[in-house]
Amino acid sequence: MYWRTIPQRYKMIGQKCKKCGAINFPPKGVCKYCQTSSEFEEIQLSGRGKVHTFVLISAGGAPPEFAEQEKAGGQYPVAIVQLEEGPKVIGQIADVDPKEVKIDMPVKAELRKIYTEEEVIRYGFKFVPG
Amino acid sequence: MAIGISGYSAYIPRLRIKKEDYAKAWGSFSAAGVAEKSVMGFDEDVLTAAAKVSKRALESVPMAPDKVTRFAFASTSPPYFEKLLSGTVLYSVGMPNSAFSSDHTTSTRAGTEAMIAGFEHISANQTGMAVVVAADAPSASMWDSVEHALGAGAAAFVLSADNLVAELEGHASYASEYFGERFRPRGNPYLHDLNVKKYAEGSLITNTTRAANALLKSLNRKPEEYQHVVIQQPDARVPTTVASRLGFTDAQLASSLVSKSLGDLGAASVPVALAAALDVAKVGDQIMVISYGSGAGSDALSFKVVSDRKAPVKVQAEMDRKEYIDYVKYLKIKGAIV
Repeated sequence: MYWRTIPQRYKMIGQKCKKCGAINFPPKGVCKYCQTSSEFEEIQLSGRGKVHTFVLISAGGAPPEFAEQEKAGGQYPVAIVQLEEGPKVIGQIADVDPKEVKIDMPVKAELRKIYTEEEVIRYGFKFVPG
Repeated sequence: MAIGISGYSAYIPRLRIKKEDYAKAWGSFSAAGVAEKSVMGFDEDVLTAAAKVSKRALESVPMAPDKVTRFAFASTSPPYFEKLLSGTVLYSVGMPNSAFSSDHTTSTRAGTEAMIAGFEHISANQTGMAVVVAADAPSASMWDSVEHALGAGAAAFVLSADNLVAELEGHASYASEYFGERFRPRGNPYLHDLNVKKYAEGSLITNTTRAANALLKSLNRKPEEYQHVVIQQPDARVPTTVASRLGFTDAQLASSLVSKSLGDLGAASVPVALAAALDVAKVGDQIMVISYGSGAGSDALSFKVVSDRKAPVKVQAEMDRKEYIDYVKYLKIKGAIV
């Protein structure tokens, strides 16, 4: 359910595993790293990271909830971002000319509209250069 | 005890459209003195802009966001007509859920309305800390010439009694009944204007001069004692009209005349213009701020700059960061093609 994911989507709240100390983001039921603990402490991630790799989504390539965005704004980049706390996360790169996105480019998470469903605007993080 | 602005910042969306693109599409461009204007991206709205600029303003002060006790949000173009708006921003920025928050949405005066609400809170709670944000991207029908000026931008201020950048010297307001100018009937997403120019100008002049003159009188000040005057900018001509009526000069207006390259920022017009004036003001400078909202009302606020600490991102830098779009892309992003 979208509402349950609001802490991670709106403000990058991650989990620190109480057993192995690894940072999980997005949050998991069982630690992705030690695969034994389900005890976590909530931590605020900085939202900073760098582009690990990326693709450009063009006409016809966007999933239905992003089709309108592609039609209105044109091609958009989707990246795997390596956060400075360690985890890799998928997100769009906003506020950038798609041709300027580069691997290792520093990025920062900020609140954007992701899509609208049942007339409810779903907000969440995207990455912007910086 | 002195209260005032402890930190501030502005955010201008990256996209711009030039007046030439309007002229090409419609044969004319109706926003006096506006050369180009800012446009929000497809995935932005006033709440995402407010979140971004509130965070920036909070990062510019030596106080922590968890000390915020009051949050006020202003915009004439909220994404919902019913639903708390300030909560979305407050939560995503990490301000305390217990901070008293309010939404100010019904006229372009909303930006200063929120500022005065913040200052009233600090007057009553001198250990408190208020964040006030105005973010706006007004919309009108593409067939309506009032649409031509409409831009997008945001500014946020941290108000308190500590670490002041600019001290509040006083404020005054004037409200009255005028109609037909810039209004949105219930259930209509677009603003209307009956375009009775002389009548609207009468409302503008009456409300702004009464608020500003009351403030000047209470401070025993003359317009020439100010280094900067910040006036509501529905286009780039209105502020010069109001300034000259009050006895201010174009030179006093120059530091804050952002509408030339950003257009009409609605409720964020005066807040962004004030940020631009603060960016270049020197310690000791005095700034007169005069807002206007149709319907009608005006707030006047007077500030004295007491520190040379500036915003982390200057308004000029935000204005210089831009990508031009053509009119067709503008229509698509604004959702005008259905």
